Amino acid sequence: MSAAEVARHLIKTCGSLGEFQSYMFGSSLFGIGSDYDILIVGPSGEPLSRLKAEIRIAAEELPLDVLYMLPSEAEKTGFVANEGCVTLSQMADCDQGEPVANDQGD
Amino acid sequence: MTWQVKFARSNVTGVAGVTSVEPEGNEALRITVQDQPDVLAVISPAHRMNAAAAARYHDQYPTMDFLCGYRTSCIWEGDAIRYLEENKIGWGTIGTLNSVLPKGSVNSAAHKDFVFSDRLLRQTRSVANIVREFDQVHTVTLVSGRTLRIGMIMQYEPTADSVRSLWDQFGAVDIAWNINPNGRPTQDAIEAGRELGCEVVQWDDLKAIMKKG
Repeated sequence: MSAAEVARHLIKTCGSLGEFQSYMFGSSLFGIGSDYDILIVGPSGEPLSRLKAEIRIAAEELPLDVLYMLPSEAEKTGFVANEGCVTLSQMADCDQGEPVANDQGD
Repeated sequence: MTWQVKFARSNVTGVAGVTSVEPEGNEALRITVQDQPDVLAVISPAHRMNAAAAARYHDQYPTMDFLCGYRTSCIWEGDAIRYLEENKIGWGTIGTLNSVLPKGSVNSAAHKDFVFSDRLLRQTRSVANIVREFDQVHTVTLVSGRTLRIGMIMQYEPTADSVRSLWDQFGAVDIAWNINPNGRPTQDAIEAGRELGCEVVQWDDLKAIMKKG
């Protein structure tokens, strides 16, 4: 499964993703590595529990390594820009094999 | 071939010295490495590995050299670790397997995220006894008699969710230890620990806590 297909799969199957900012980062972007690195930025509590349950089902046959951050943590660490994270929606729009432009402004 | 074996096969194929990777049954790979004995690695999709599951894989593959939990998030119970180590079967992630294949030390390999920290605790003078409850949770009895339950967090920047998830998955800990030597727990992570009732620390702080007794 390509990184774009993984992004499409997650967007399609995880209804709560719309309440969060979601990204892919790391070697997954280049189709290498043993799993797909996903960053989720958003609130904790019930919405996060709901999303985690959805992701667990979506990842039943998919190796995902998911990092969850509060918006304040994402801002303070500068993780999105530093790691060259790309939004899942941007990934989903990519054709297989097409290079992905990092979205550092999101 | 199961999904995790497909992923693992593709991943192991690129490791230096590996000359062939062939499926064996539904859940294992026979790996040939230059100048090393062949390796039989069982690749599991389990979210959690206990001793019974490890023994089942061993029954199914009696010559298993390594048990791989393909999910990064796979939790290894202490009994499973003891079973595997007593039977000279390596265990851990696909990254663990890949790192030991060229060295030929597959059967003695342990989860590479935690092996160094586990050793560090065992070599600490102020520690009298250690019970490894999970891959990343140890109950440590200090020479002073005090007991500490220590949970390890590998991430470079542990977040509030890392600390809360540690509690959700393993129960209360006294210490959330950020074992990444270059790690920097976020302020939110430290606050989350405070709210839950544990300290979020790095090695130097933990060493001082244990020395103090």
